[in-house]
Amino acid sequence: MSDHESIECLGCTEYRELSRRNFMAVTGGVTMAALSAPSWLPRVAVAKDHRGTQRDVMVAIYLRGASDGLTLCVPWGENAYYTNRPTLNIPRPDSADPNRATDLDGFFGLPPAMSPLLPAYQAGKLLIVHACGSTDTSRSHFDAQRLMEVGVAGVTYTSGWLGRHLYSVAPMDPNAILRAVGISTGLQRSLQGGPSTLPIPDLDNFGLSGSSTTNAERRGALNDMYAVVPDPVHAAAENTLATIDLLNTINFAGYVPAGSAAYPAGGFGLALKSTAALIKAQVGVEAVAIDVSGWDTHINQGPISGGMATLMSTLAAGVGAFYTDMTTGTAPTFVLVAMSEFGRRLAENGSLGTDHGHGNALFVMGNCIAGGQVMRQWPGLSPGQLYQGRDLQVTIDYRDILAEIIQQRLGNTNLDYVFPGYTPTDRAAVAC
Amino acid sequence: MNQAEAPVHDSADSRIDAAVEERVPAVSRRMLLRRAGVGVGSTAAAFWGGWGGVRGARATPPDVSADVDPGSLLSKLVRRITMGTSPAEMALANQFGYSGYLEYHLNYTAIDDSALQARLAPLTTLTMPYPQLILLPNGQVISELIEAVILRAVYSSRQLFERMVEFWTDHFNIDINKEADNYLKTIDDRDVIRQFALGTFPQLLDASAHSPAMLYYLDNTTSVAGNPNENYARELMELHTLGVDGGYTQTDVQEVARCFTGWTWFGRNGQPNAGTFRYNSSVHDNGQKIVLGHVIAAGGGMQDALTVLNILTNHPSCAAFIAKKLCRHLLADNVTQSVIDSVAAAYTQSGGDIKTMIRAALAPNVLHDAAPKYKRPFHHFMSAMRGLPTSIANTSGIRSLLLATGHMPFYWGSPDGYPDALDYWFGLILPRWNFGASLMNGTTGSISGVTVDSTAFFSGLTTADQMIDKINQSMFAGELTATERSRLRQYLLVNVASTTRRRETIGLAIGAPTFQWH
Repeated sequence: MSDHESIECLGCTEYRELSRRNFMAVTGGVTMAALSAPSWLPRVAVAKDHRGTQRDVMVAIYLRGASDGLTLCVPWGENAYYTNRPTLNIPRPDSADPNRATDLDGFFGLPPAMSPLLPAYQAGKLLIVHACGSTDTSRSHFDAQRLMEVGVAGVTYTSGWLGRHLYSVAPMDPNAILRAVGISTGLQRSLQGGPSTLPIPDLDNFGLSGSSTTNAERRGALNDMYAVVPDPVHAAAENTLATIDLLNTINFAGYVPAGSAAYPAGGFGLALKSTAALIKAQVGVEAVAIDVSGWDTHINQGPISGGMATLMSTLAAGVGAFYTDMTTGTAPTFVLVAMSEFGRRLAENGSLGTDHGHGNALFVMGNCIAGGQVMRQWPGLSPGQLYQGRDLQVTIDYRDILAEIIQQRLGNTNLDYVFPGYTPTDRAAVAC
Repeated sequence: MNQAEAPVHDSADSRIDAAVEERVPAVSRRMLLRRAGVGVGSTAAAFWGGWGGVRGARATPPDVSADVDPGSLLSKLVRRITMGTSPAEMALANQFGYSGYLEYHLNYTAIDDSALQARLAPLTTLTMPYPQLILLPNGQVISELIEAVILRAVYSSRQLFERMVEFWTDHFNIDINKEADNYLKTIDDRDVIRQFALGTFPQLLDASAHSPAMLYYLDNTTSVAGNPNENYARELMELHTLGVDGGYTQTDVQEVARCFTGWTWFGRNGQPNAGTFRYNSSVHDNGQKIVLGHVIAAGGGMQDALTVLNILTNHPSCAAFIAKKLCRHLLADNVTQSVIDSVAAAYTQSGGDIKTMIRAALAPNVLHDAAPKYKRPFHHFMSAMRGLPTSIANTSGIRSLLLATGHMPFYWGSPDGYPDALDYWFGLILPRWNFGASLMNGTTGSISGVTVDSTAFFSGLTTADQMIDKINQSMFAGELTATERSRLRQYLLVNVASTTRRRETIGLAIGAPTFQWH
């Protein structure tokens, strides 16, 4: 664990200032490191080895639109699942149907589209937590997403759980210019309030346009004009100017994933691939947030060959490739979580889709995660066992899992700062 | 309306204008951007309750009476009801005065917009009926609609109308990339949003509820008796009328969904009425429903959903919700409850008349107290082009840059519409700088389809001070800060005779902090 862990982040500003000076000094002189390193690595190969601090890099994936957890991880052991989903079910593992589920533990299974996750599960690095989620009762996407990403009930807070984590722990790398990135055009709620945090939609395309001759001069002018304005715009401008240099040292386009990992085409695959490159570059980034939209499957859900199957294939192929990439060789340790605002109704609707529900499945992957299991306090799917008579209950609060990760893998003991007012239950989700 | 027909100040208007000028200075962008006493440590103060920079500036306004010109409230009005100030717009405002200028824009059909109409004429899909539209490639239909949004923002004389179209487009958001909406959004934009943007809210809601684009987007087209689809019903209450805390329950969602069963459209299979609203009585749930405590008797047929719309538009939560969002759009991210209440009261008293609500929201004393508002990326781009002599041959280059900002019109996927608050948009500042850098790069710019005539802009000017003054008046309505002015001047002075240097100075002005706010 980091020896910084119990320090309040009163020194964050100083860290930022320090990092700027150090970075400028480093870029001024050091190019030697690049000679022996892979070509995509940054020339500033001076960052601390993350493993020395025993802190994982957090990759937080948000499935926007309320993913159907009963498809993502199928409770094939429940008859009620099949009676309520006459057309939208994934057949039992012992069925003759070629599109049947792959059994995980004699009760749950993965649908065919999620099979790229099997290697990580079988290696004990992928944990699925079922009947999990936020206990908030809202069935509004936007309310539920906000509450879940803030991580505190009520309307008092605007910052996110990941932002507060970053704010209340010393930087993993004191030289870090960029501590967290949202792969997005607008900063995700979960990262709001985080120091040295920016939304960057494309890590490989982050530079100032215009004439190269006057580039430095124009940056100087922008720097001076923004130096005297208040936060948060001031901080965004300052971080942006510094991050331009930082990201330009990393050759994202030339990055070769380890273990022949094949990321899927499209934005999500590119985001995860760039994230792997960024983590391996060890420039001090501690958290990356990535969104996947399209899970609001009110019609034509298509769990086997339709829309949801396509979404799941992309998700699983991306996360599966990330697993291969990050566990082959000597990459820094990571933890990846994939969550959604709530699950979907047990019973399918008349549009071959599902409406808004409650409990969901949470996916957690990492080097030190107690994987290879579907963790649950399974409430059952019989009428009397359902939330409001309709939906899967939430029996494990998602914050239990995040709290454990934050404390044991992200080096932050200020849990009351990250999840104020919440006392998590130990679920033994972390293995080491 | 031409300028000779400009509304004359009545005595009441003059009193308002006079009273405003006597008040303490309006909260200006200049004050906001003055960073006195707001150090980096303000991050901590901002952390728990909104962003301290903006609030701090409001809580303890520095004494700036000496450098606030008396027209600052008028220029603030111009900035709020347009996509960006321009010399022509400021001239109109100065001519009409505060109330006259606002009324001029509210009476938008009287404003001559023939120059814009000529620019839009080649975009033939804008006026096409559905059976013709559907014969064209979807890409053409989508890009013409987006091109029209850009051209209207930059060139329309009916700027407040366009700002309200922008508002309602977000409020009744439809993702144009959802299959049939490739085509149907063009019709929704024409027959719903633009038809009633300055009409009444009940009219607008009624049109939206009958809009094939909306019914398709929120899956109501497949909602049938016995197993209704809740998607539209929920968002109708949560996003369109009552707000998430507006007092409805999950049971209400289900009951409203039952009321709307059978509300669908005639698909694209060649019927003469293809692309129009269809009530399919054969799949309507004709049982009794109870919505928000109102009993809707069995056998109501299509009337069920019309009754729902009536219940919703007359609900106090609807007035409050629409008022709050409108204030956020026109005034600031945070306004006081009393301001929201006054706009909600305007809704209630006028039957949801949108112009009446705008008058309440933009009352001089209300606008005076509004904090500066951070431009969203689209607004930022448009305001740059409006403040300069800009020619747009086509919008392909602008559209690709908008895409990179995450603010392409009609591209927001979820039904809540693009966010309208600083905390979502402040982080990604680089595309704003790059818009300025690209627009003014070299001697012709490097955004495909767009040119800015900087020679005309600086015509007759020889000194750096004159040129910075010109930038300040045309683009900033005189609100350039001393720091910005000094830094831009310094940049220009390196080679004041160089066209590219002059252009780059304008590009930097587009990237300057003050230009991000309105």
